[in-house]
Amino acid sequence: MGVCFYSLILHNRVKCGVWLKMRSIKLEKLKKTVHGGVIIPEVSLHIPAGKFFALLGPSGCGKTTLLRLIAGLENAESGKIFLGEQEITAWPIHKRPINIVFQNYALFPHLDVFDNVAYSLKLKKLPSEEIKQKVTKILEAFHLENHIYKRTNQLSGGQQQRVALARAIVNEPDVLLLDEPLAALDFKLRERMLIELIELQDKLKTTFVYVTHDQFEALTVADQMAIMNHRGQIEQIGTPKEIYEFPSSSFVAKFVGTTNILSGKLRESDGQPEIDIPDLGKFKLNIPQKKEWMREGSDMMISLRPEKIFISKKEVKNFSNTLKGTVQSIVYHGRSTQYNILLKNQARIQVFEQNEEHFPQEVIDYDNVVNLYWQKENVVILEK
Amino acid sequence: MNIKFLRKPPATEIPFIIGAPAMIWQVLFFYLPLLLLALSSVLQFSQLGSFEGFTFEKIAFFLRPLYLKVILSSFVLALGNAILCLLIAYPLAYFLACVGKRHKNLFLFLLIVPFWTNFLLHIYAWFFVLEKEGFLNNLLQGLGVIAEPLQFLNTPFAIMVMMVYYYLPFMVMPLYSSLEKIDMRLIEASLDLGATWGQTLRRVMLPLTKRGLKAGFFLVYIPSFGEFAIPELMGGDKMMFVGTVVANYILGDETGSLGAAFTLVASILLLLSAALLYFVIERLIPGKQHG
Repeated sequence: MGVCFYSLILHNRVKCGVWLKMRSIKLEKLKKTVHGGVIIPEVSLHIPAGKFFALLGPSGCGKTTLLRLIAGLENAESGKIFLGEQEITAWPIHKRPINIVFQNYALFPHLDVFDNVAYSLKLKKLPSEEIKQKVTKILEAFHLENHIYKRTNQLSGGQQQRVALARAIVNEPDVLLLDEPLAALDFKLRERMLIELIELQDKLKTTFVYVTHDQFEALTVADQMAIMNHRGQIEQIGTPKEIYEFPSSSFVAKFVGTTNILSGKLRESDGQPEIDIPDLGKFKLNIPQKKEWMREGSDMMISLRPEKIFISKKEVKNFSNTLKGTVQSIVYHGRSTQYNILLKNQARIQVFEQNEEHFPQEVIDYDNVVNLYWQKENVVILEK
Repeated sequence: MNIKFLRKPPATEIPFIIGAPAMIWQVLFFYLPLLLLALSSVLQFSQLGSFEGFTFEKIAFFLRPLYLKVILSSFVLALGNAILCLLIAYPLAYFLACVGKRHKNLFLFLLIVPFWTNFLLHIYAWFFVLEKEGFLNNLLQGLGVIAEPLQFLNTPFAIMVMMVYYYLPFMVMPLYSSLEKIDMRLIEASLDLGATWGQTLRRVMLPLTKRGLKAGFFLVYIPSFGEFAIPELMGGDKMMFVGTVVANYILGDETGSLGAAFTLVASILLLLSAALLYFVIERLIPGKQHG
């Protein structure tokens, strides 16, 4: 899809005199209730223009509803939606220069591939020669040139996905919304489609809003991402790296990736901050930014990613923190191994170790007593 | 005992065996009478009942403007009824299929309740509504729309009201089962791609409900064409339709074979008109056969 696509779209736009259509989306205190139940509680969100934006949240958190509000398929109870500088809250669906790729693709079963893709162009009453040219080009870019006159039910899942994408972008929308577009595909195909989507967005520079419950997909595609909690609130916005490395809440830390959450009290010794975990001991912390709530003795939680912990049976120096435990279970994942370690306060901690060598120097087995090491900089302090 | 007779029938024969009683019934009581009807309209018998030969006189008798006008008015009645039923039933079926999904059993029940009461009771109920001192006149006078009561009974209006009232469920049922199968996201996708509701109806909903639409249309159109009781009772004796003419001849003295001839003429024209309408619908609604 890559280079071929680039030239196609660029060529068209230079010809039409339209240069890279991209506009931001801004939501202001957007609220949605259904039968008195709150689905979206006053959400404000800025989706930057020309970016690949992912909206990540657990199933049923209201992320699809938010997408449908932007598309115009649902009406908000209150609040405003802006496309660029323009308020579009009251615009009907068909007037919004926003297209959506549905989860089940929603391809028209009574039309063939060509007519599906040509649907929006025919509505615009473009000359049939131009329609034919545009549709043929885009289908070639999506490797569908051999399926132009097939019915949609004769296509595989991946091909249907491409038709849905082609149908949505042939219209050159300002914003493309994707509602869990890869949920129905198998893992290998999904990985490939993710890369293709990234390339596509990179060439088109259209604002993409990608809704998913799959953190792997969101982390892969997003330039910017937002995490939504069960109550429909936005918990955190940032780049995938910011979200993963510096989660602001235990919800984000647990939802994006796996982590170990430990709770204790904040202490200070020799001017150094520490966390005092009951029945386990004191561990050094790094506080880059002192917050209001951080006082001596206040309750706190920390997140420690499993891959940030070094595991060994030997004594190792130069780590700020160390902890002893017993290996309770070992799960071999291929590229990494997951150890579940039982601590002396009966809590469990997860550790990932890269499988870097065929024959590791140190073999860790069940019921081994091991030392866990981590640097204080790799600990994230959570606000809630 | 014949062993062959006891063998288990092969799987391909089973549907045939199951269907046989119905097919025998259909041949005995439909195709055979139809053949007799066609024969009796072209056979000439003497007064004593002996066969005298073939004649097309009886058929030619009805190919006159007077009778063709009767057939034309039946055509208008049936077409009008089918179109009115379609216009009323489509939104109703759409409502049942998507908006009223939670209570759809209740709605469908309410739709078929009228079938449980006697047809004549319906007619009498409509008499009370449409008569000079009836409900409709009282209502319109009460609202100040009219000063003097209007004549509703024995007018084409009364016939049309009763026809639509009676045939509506035949249109709603097939449309409902077609609309119910449509994925509502297809409608959303159409709107999202820039179509108005009107364009969505034409380009997505109608093509996807074409089969149900055609079924409903002909389920209403064909029986309406030969409808006898409603025009007779609601239209007084002024208006003549195919049904009334056939009844007059069949029930009259010594004119049974004329009635058969007229039935034959009307039936052939009905078939032709139905075929024509079928192609008109095919042309009007884009897309291949679906749903």
